Amino acid sequence: MLGIMLQKMWHKKWMNLSLLLGCILLVATVVSFPLYQKAAYDRMLQDEIRNYISENGVYPAQVTMKSISKNDKKGSTMAKLEEFQKSICGQIGVTEKRLTQYYYLLNSTITSDMNRSDADEMSLSLAFLTDFENNIRIVGGNMYSEDGLTDDGAIEVVISQDTMLAEGLLVGERLTFKAMQTIDKKPITIEITGVYVQDTDDPFYWQMNSKNLVLSCFMREDLFREMFTGENAKKYTVNSFYYTLFQYDDITSEQVDSILENTNYLNKKSKYRSVIQDTNYYDILENYNKKVNRISATLLIMQVPVLIMLAAFLLMISGQMYEMEKNEISVIKSRGSSRGQIFRLYLYQGIFLTLIGGVLGIPLGAVFSKVLGAVRNFLDFNGSRTLDITYTGKSMIYALVAMFITLLTITIPAIGHSKVSIVNLKQSKNVMKKPLWQKLFLDIVLLAVSGYGYYNFNKNMADVSGTVLSGQSLDPLLYISSSLFIVGMGLLYIRIQPLLIKLVFFIGKKKWGPASYISFMETIKQSGKQQLIILFLIMTISLGMYHSTVARTILENAVMNTEYADGVDMVLAERWEEAVDQDGNKTGLYVEPDYKKFSSVPYIDKYTRVFNDKNGYISGGKTGRQAVTIMGIHTKDFGSITYVDKSFLSKHYYEFLNELAVEQKGVLLSDNFRTQLGYDIGDTIEFNNEKGKKATGVIVDFFEYWPEYAPTVTELFPDGTANTKDNYLIVMHYDYSRNVFGVMPYEVWMSLKDDANENEIYQWIQDNNFKLSRYVNRQKDMEETTSDPLLQGTNGVLTLGFVVTILLCAVGYMIYWIMSIKDRELIFGVLRACGFHKKEVVQMLLIEQLFAGILSVFAGIGIGWISSKMFVPIIQLSFASATQILPLRLIIENADLLRLYGVIALVMISCVAVLITLLFRMNVTKALKLGEE
Amino acid sequence: MSEMIVGKNITRTFAVPGGEFQALKGIDVEIGEGVFAILRGRSGSGKTTLMNILNTLDDPTTGEILLDGQNVKDLNAYEREELRRKKMGFVFQSVSLIPSLNAYQNVEFALRMAGVKIDKEAELRIEECLKKVGLGNRMTHMPSEMSGGEQQRVAIARAFVHRPKIIFADEPTAELDSAMAAKVTETFQKMSSEEGITILMTTHDVGLMGAADMIIQLENGERIDAE
Repeated sequence: MLGIMLQKMWHKKWMNLSLLLGCILLVATVVSFPLYQKAAYDRMLQDEIRNYISENGVYPAQVTMKSISKNDKKGSTMAKLEEFQKSICGQIGVTEKRLTQYYYLLNSTITSDMNRSDADEMSLSLAFLTDFENNIRIVGGNMYSEDGLTDDGAIEVVISQDTMLAEGLLVGERLTFKAMQTIDKKPITIEITGVYVQDTDDPFYWQMNSKNLVLSCFMREDLFREMFTGENAKKYTVNSFYYTLFQYDDITSEQVDSILENTNYLNKKSKYRSVIQDTNYYDILENYNKKVNRISATLLIMQVPVLIMLAAFLLMISGQMYEMEKNEISVIKSRGSSRGQIFRLYLYQGIFLTLIGGVLGIPLGAVFSKVLGAVRNFLDFNGSRTLDITYTGKSMIYALVAMFITLLTITIPAIGHSKVSIVNLKQSKNVMKKPLWQKLFLDIVLLAVSGYGYYNFNKNMADVSGTVLSGQSLDPLLYISSSLFIVGMGLLYIRIQPLLIKLVFFIGKKKWGPASYISFMETIKQSGKQQLIILFLIMTISLGMYHSTVARTILENAVMNTEYADGVDMVLAERWEEAVDQDGNKTGLYVEPDYKKFSSVPYIDKYTRVFNDKNGYISGGKTGRQAVTIMGIHTKDFGSITYVDKSFLSKHYYEFLNELAVEQKGVLLSDNFRTQLGYDIGDTIEFNNEKGKKATGVIVDFFEYWPEYAPTVTELFPDGTANTKDNYLIVMHYDYSRNVFGVMPYEVWMSLKDDANENEIYQWIQDNNFKLSRYVNRQKDMEETTSDPLLQGTNGVLTLGFVVTILLCAVGYMIYWIMSIKDRELIFGVLRACGFHKKEVVQMLLIEQLFAGILSVFAGIGIGWISSKMFVPIIQLSFASATQILPLRLIIENADLLRLYGVIALVMISCVAVLITLLFRMNVTKALKLGEE
Repeated sequence: MSEMIVGKNITRTFAVPGGEFQALKGIDVEIGEGVFAILRGRSGSGKTTLMNILNTLDDPTTGEILLDGQNVKDLNAYEREELRRKKMGFVFQSVSLIPSLNAYQNVEFALRMAGVKIDKEAELRIEECLKKVGLGNRMTHMPSEMSGGEQQRVAIARAFVHRPKIIFADEPTAELDSAMAAKVTETFQKMSSEEGITILMTTHDVGLMGAADMIIQLENGERIDAE
C-alpha cells in the first residue's frame, strides 16, 4: 500500500508539493503565534520592569516587611519572621537574590562622655544591617572590631557621615543611653569607632529610609542579636525591616499569573499579611498583564483570517487533487477495492504530508516569529531588534493541533470521494448545482452581521474608548466584523460576477471573434469551479489592503501624535534657584541660568525661550476659577522650530503666529475659550500665573491645536468609565509675560541638527550637571512609540499574514489555472487543429484571466478600500492610548498599495506566462490522441 | 474533375529509442473534388499519420502535398491555420465538441472561426446543417445531454457548416455501434454528394466501405489498394 501511495503521490507531485507547502505554512503560522507571543511578552515584561527601575530607581522585585516587636517574649516574632522571609521566594515561585534585615532599637536619648551641652537633645538608636560591612567605606576612624566591643565592654559602632554632620559627633566619642540598659541592668555605652559613607556595587542595597539611617549607629550583627533578640527581646522594642529581593531578569511571561496569585495570597491571606509593607512588583506585573490581555486578543483575532485562508487553501488543493483522481478512484473501486481501502490510501497520504509539514513547519514557525519581531511597519523589516525564540510546551501543543487540522482538511474530502464509483461518476458529471452558500444567502447573512457590528460600534464609540483606556480587550465582534464583511462582499461578488459576464457577452454577442466568444462561454461555464479561487484572490487582496491600512494608520497616527505632543525636537527646563531673603524666606525671585550656553552646543540648531506655566488660572466668568496653561513665546523663533500641520487648523499655523506678532499684548487662545467660555476675538481676558500675578491680554484669535497642546484629556474613573476634560491654553508674547510676571523659570525649546545624537546630548547634560525639571527628546519618544509591542506585534502579524496569503494565493492561482488548462487540453487541441491561431489562444487566456483574475483583483481592491474606510477608524481606537491628542486619521499610503499591487501583478503575469508556455508546448496531435483512450 | 488532395512520395520517419521508425514509406495519393474517400488499414498501419500530414497538422519527412492546387510547403504556420479554419472541416474520433456550447453554438462556432458574419443567412445555414444530420429538434442540447452518435453528428454538421473544400474525419465511427456508424457514414455520403465536398475518412470498419467512392488501403506504411 505504501508503494501505491508513493507512486500515486509521485504521479501528482506538483499537487502534493502544493499540499505540502500548505501544510508547512499552516503549521508554521500556527506555531509562530505562541513562539512570537512568548518571546515578545518576555521582552515586554523585561521592558516594563526596566522602565520601573529607570523611573523609580528602586529594585523592582522585592517584598518589604516591617515589624515592631515590643517586649516580645523569647523574641519569637522576629525568629518567625526571619524564617518566613527565607520561605517567601519559594512561596512566590521566584529565584532569591538577596535577603536583607535591618534591625534597630527604639531610639533613645543619650549622654556623652564629652559633656556636650546638646547631648540631651540627641537621640540615637543601635542597629545592624545584613552585609553592612561590604557596602560601605570607612572615611574616618576604623570599622568596629572582630568582637564588636572595646576592652572595657563598650559597644563599638560606626555612624554615617550625615549623622556625624547632623549631630556633631566625633570619632572616639563615647555615649551612654539614658533609658536603656543591658539585660542584666548595666548601662549601655557605645563608642564611635568610625564614620562610613555608602559605597556599594549593588545599586539597590541602600534603600532604607534615610531618616532612620541618620539615627542608626551600626554595630556587629551577631552582637546585636546576642544582646537584644531571642530571650533578651522581652526588654526591648526592636524595629525590624526585611527586604526580600528576587531575580527579575529570569521571570518569564508564563510565571506572571502565578506570581501575582501567590503574592495576592501573601498580601491578603497569609499569617504575616499585616507585616508585609510593600510588594512593588505586583503593580508592574498587573500593568503588564493588562497590556498583554489587550495584545493577545488583538493578535489572535488578526491571525484568524489567515488561518481560515490556509485551511481553505488546503481544502481547495486536496479537493482539486481528488477531482483529478476521480477517474482513477472510480476505476479502482469498480475493480473491487473497498471504500475503506481507498480512504486508508488517502489517510496515509495525509499523514505522510502532515508529518513532513510538521517537521519543516515547526522550525519555519520559529523563523516566522523572528520575522514578526523584526517588522517595523507593514511589509517593512528592519531587523534591529531580534527576539529570543524558545520552544515551549504550548508551542508544541499548537503544532500538534495544527497538524491534526491539516490532516483533517486534506483527508475529509476523501470520504466523499471514496464513495464514487464509475457509474455515479458518469451520472454526476456535468450536473451544475447551485452552491449551498448561495442557497443559504450566506453572503447576505455575513454582510448583515458585519453591518450590525459596524453600526453598533459606531454608535458606541465613547464606550469603546472607555474600554480601551481601562485596559480591557475589545469585543472580538469588532475585529471579526471586518473579516466577515470582506468574506461577505467576496461571496456577493462571486454571486454577481457570472451575471456581469453574461451581460457583457450579450451586449456584443454578434461581434465577438471566435477567441472572445469561446472565452466568454468557457468563463460562464467555469464560473462554478472558479468560485473558490476568485474568493481566495479577493480575500488576499482586500485583507492585504485592509491590513496594510490598519498597520499604517496605527503607526502613522502614533508617530504624528508623538511628534505633535512633544512640540519640538527637544525641550530643556532647568531647575531654577529661588532667591531667599535674610530670614531664609523665599522671595519669588529667581536666578536666571546662563542662556547663551546653548549656542555653543554643536547639535543644537535653533533655540528659544518658552514660558510654560501649567498652573495659571482665570477667575470670574461663567465657571468661576478655571485652570489654564500660559505659554509665552517669541513668535518668530518659536515658529521657526515648531509646526502644526495645516489639516488640523482652520488657517495656516504661521498666520496665527503673525496675528500674535503684531499685537504686543495680544493672546491666542485655545478654541474652547470660545466654545465653552464664550470669549470672542477682540475681547480682553484677565489671567493669573501660578504665583497669582495678573495679566491682561487682547484676544487675537482661537486655535484648534498648538504645539504640545492637548485640547482635552481623558480621565479614567475606578469604575471603568472615562471622562473627558477640557484643557485651556493662553499663548502670549514672552516679553510681555516677563513684563507682567517678572523673570520666571522658562523652558528652552530647541531644534536639533540632523546628525544630532540623543546619547551625546544626554552626555552633555550630565557633564554640565544641569538639574532638569523637564526634558523632552522627540527622537527618543519616537523610538519608544515605534517599538511599542502592540504596534510591532500587530504589524508583524499583519505582514506575516499577508506574506503567507499572497504565497498561497500565487500557488493556488497557478494550480487552478494549470489544472484548468490540463482539463481542457482536448478542447485546445481541437481548436488548434481546426485552425485556431496562437495569438487567439493567448487572447482567449487573457480574456479568461481578465474575468477570473483581473476583475477579481479590482473587486478585491474595492472591497479592501471600503472595509478600510469603514472599520479602520474603529479598530484604531483600540490602539490609540489615553495620550492620543490629534484626531485620528485614516492613512492609506500609496507606497504600501503599490507594493501590494506589484506583488499581485507579478503573480498574475508569471501565471499567464506559465500558462502560455504550457499551451504552446502542447502538441496538437498528442492532445487529440488524449481523447482516444 | 480537378484533384483536391495530392500527395507525392510521402515519407514520415519518427525518432524512437535506438533508431528510427518509418511510419510512411513513400505514399502517393490523389483524391478528386467531391470524392468520398476512405483510408483504411489496421492499427499502426500509418493511416492517422498520413491523415495528419494531408491536413497540415504534421509535416512529411520527404514528399510534397498539394491541397486544391496549393503547395503546403509554401505556407507558413499562420497560413496553414487559415487554410484549416476556412477550407477544411474536421471530425475527430473522440468527443470533440466544446462542452460549454450547445449543439447550435458548436456549429455556429465553426462559422465564426471561418470568419463568416453571423446574420440571418448564417443562422439558416446552421439550422440547415443540423437538420441534415437529423438533429433539427436537438439544437439547444448541451453535448453532455446527447449520445455519442448524436455528438458525432453535431461534429459533422460543424465540419460542413462553413462549406469547406475538404473534410478530414479520423475514425469518426470508432466509438459508435454499427447501426449508428452506418448512419454517420450515410450522412457523410449525403453531404459530399449534395455539397460537393471532398471527404477523407479513416476507418477500419469493413462494413462501411460500400459507401465510399474510393478506398485507400495502408499496411506497414505502404499503400496496398486492393481494388
